Amino acid sequence: MPTETGTPSAGTAGSPRDFREPRRLHPASVVLGVPLAQAVQALIFPFVATLAAPRWFTLFVLFSVALVGGVVRFFDWRMRTFSFDGEVLRVDHGVLSRNHRSLDVSRIQQVEIQRGAIQRVFGLAAIRVETAGSASEPEVDLRVLPEADAVALRSAVRVSQARLTGRAPGAAPSDDDPTAAAEQEVLRVPMRHVILASVTGARLLVLPAVIGGALQFIGNQIGPFVDEAIEQMVELGLAGETPTLVGPDWRLIAVGVALGLVLSVAAAVVVGVLRDGNFHIRQVDEDLHVSRGLLSTRDSVVPLRRIQKVEIKRNWARRVLGYATVRIRSAGGSTGGEGRVTVPLLPNDEVDRLLGCLLPNVDGVPDLHAHPPAALRRAFFRWLRPAVLLIAAAHLLPEVIAFLDTDLVATAQPYTFLLLPINAVLAVIEYRQLAHGATPLVVAARSGALSISTDISPVVKVQALTSRRSFFQRRLGLTTLVAHVAGPGALVTVLDAGRDDAARLHTRLTEHAASPIPVVPEREDGQPGADGERDGVGVISQPATTG
Amino acid sequence: MTIHAGDEIPRPGLDDRERELAPAVVTSWRLSAALGWILPAVVALMLGFVLGDGWGWLVLAVLAALVVFSVVFYPPMRYRRWRWQLTELAIELRYGVLVRTQETVPYFRIQQIDITAGPVDRLLELASLQVTSASASGSATLPGIAAEDAPRVRAELLARAATAVAEHPGDLRDAV
Repeated sequence: MPTETGTPSAGTAGSPRDFREPRRLHPASVVLGVPLAQAVQALIFPFVATLAAPRWFTLFVLFSVALVGGVVRFFDWRMRTFSFDGEVLRVDHGVLSRNHRSLDVSRIQQVEIQRGAIQRVFGLAAIRVETAGSASEPEVDLRVLPEADAVALRSAVRVSQARLTGRAPGAAPSDDDPTAAAEQEVLRVPMRHVILASVTGARLLVLPAVIGGALQFIGNQIGPFVDEAIEQMVELGLAGETPTLVGPDWRLIAVGVALGLVLSVAAAVVVGVLRDGNFHIRQVDEDLHVSRGLLSTRDSVVPLRRIQKVEIKRNWARRVLGYATVRIRSAGGSTGGEGRVTVPLLPNDEVDRLLGCLLPNVDGVPDLHAHPPAALRRAFFRWLRPAVLLIAAAHLLPEVIAFLDTDLVATAQPYTFLLLPINAVLAVIEYRQLAHGATPLVVAARSGALSISTDISPVVKVQALTSRRSFFQRRLGLTTLVAHVAGPGALVTVLDAGRDDAARLHTRLTEHAASPIPVVPEREDGQPGADGERDGVGVISQPATTG
Repeated sequence: MTIHAGDEIPRPGLDDRERELAPAVVTSWRLSAALGWILPAVVALMLGFVLGDGWGWLVLAVLAALVVFSVVFYPPMRYRRWRWQLTELAIELRYGVLVRTQETVPYFRIQQIDITAGPVDRLLELASLQVTSASASGSATLPGIAAEDAPRVRAELLARAATAVAEHPGDLRDAV
């Protein structure tokens, strides 16, 4: 083992705000540092493998696995140190092969503090640091730290970042007191909105499963009744008098269905409230602090200048009720859907205000322009093509393939034609929602039929552009324009815009991407900056940089 | 104008005219198309034997037509459609026979430039050059330029990227 320079102090010892000396995580990380899923995985295999053996043997094997795991974790804790000297965050770990990681503070995109339910009891937290990149794991994941240390480390990173960018943090916080910063609450989602979000959200996807269960329940109720009916029909002869039947107990069925619905909705609400309860966003200097969760909490910091894209999503239920969800993407956020910051529910009239807080100098969703009528033909084509293929398959395949030629397929065949009107309506809806807009500050695109999404990116974040024109699009004079921004899967797609519009937008966004100088539209004369002439109309604002 | 492998006089810098790929890339595309058809051809032959006289011949005829089209006719069409250009602000690619694509990666956003050459490419003295931005999807690839030109194109792109970055003060240099 290599000799360390100086003995690393234990996580609990030493000044809580001085991270210059390498220090260890909290000793509890030996146990709490293991993700629950990993621990379960490690124990379930020996458990299953020794199921046939006597019980004492199973216990012995499980105990050995836990012991070995504990020893490995202990050495991992002993050998894992981190330090932060104001510029570079260093993490050294590894027992046999040492791994040294240095992370420059200017590369940090997002810092997140997470407290699990157990960790909260002991006053502990995990801190994860994200950089730009599409890795599947956060760049640095320090679990578990005393909560005060995690918060202090995050403040230290923030202060360094502020110093580096030359933006003096608002209330001139010094290193001694990083908490004295300009702080302002941007948004707080009330509990009724969190509940409404879980009732109208994707978590209700469990509903089909519940309905399936309910149907089985109904089947069990009706089954004997059908059997009886068939029996009677056979006995009486089909041409005979009307069979006398005793109906199933409909009351029982109704109660079962109602119970299933209530249970699934309740489950969705409980999960949603635990996850998103107490959701609030604060702005501290130039950073957004997003906190959520009742039992286990998650607290993300996204620097405002790192926001790449804001998505405003409305599924049909939320559209009817007048609400939206807002998703904020930074270039980090490697941990899949969880890494993004999603506002669970927001009334429509608050969307513009939130957008103004997220994207500086933007006062809401820009005016969106509809796409030419030719795009409706493409929408029909997109929606009707799969429908026609399915109908053709349903009608032709049974002719060719013998075993598909069953009564079931025959009864289903006429119903496939229902897809045509349904998909046609969806195509019309999609066309009516298709729109895009651009101001000197942002580019925005709206699309979707059932769930409608409006994507907004600052023009200074556009990295590259792609325009595509298929054969049919060329005939209809349409172009699909994609603006790429940093971050996994982050695109703003303008589907089927008019050819000239798209060409102009391509050129203009190229200029912005080539020279990302933030533009503040002039407001004195009530004339916001016009599209396309950012140099003529917009006032170029550059933060005063010293050296 | 094309950068031919034979142009031995090194230009001081690459100007902003439209360029084509190296003509040898057509051969490379033909080879890779032919290689790609081997597996479908085996499947189609087997299917032809199974289906017998009528349908079997049809399958084989369709296969032959597809192979001839994708190996003989399609690569030259694709080549004729390919243009790339170093404009004032960005590297621009225009290509595509059925789907016409225009890709633009501004110099300022260039994060990484890769030059790769597979065995076939090396035989034909070709290289492909990939320009990557901070966005995972926003990259531009020149699939076949003369191998000896590739370092010069890269140097030019790097120089232009450095200039673009140097034009901006401190915290605006961060492209993410």
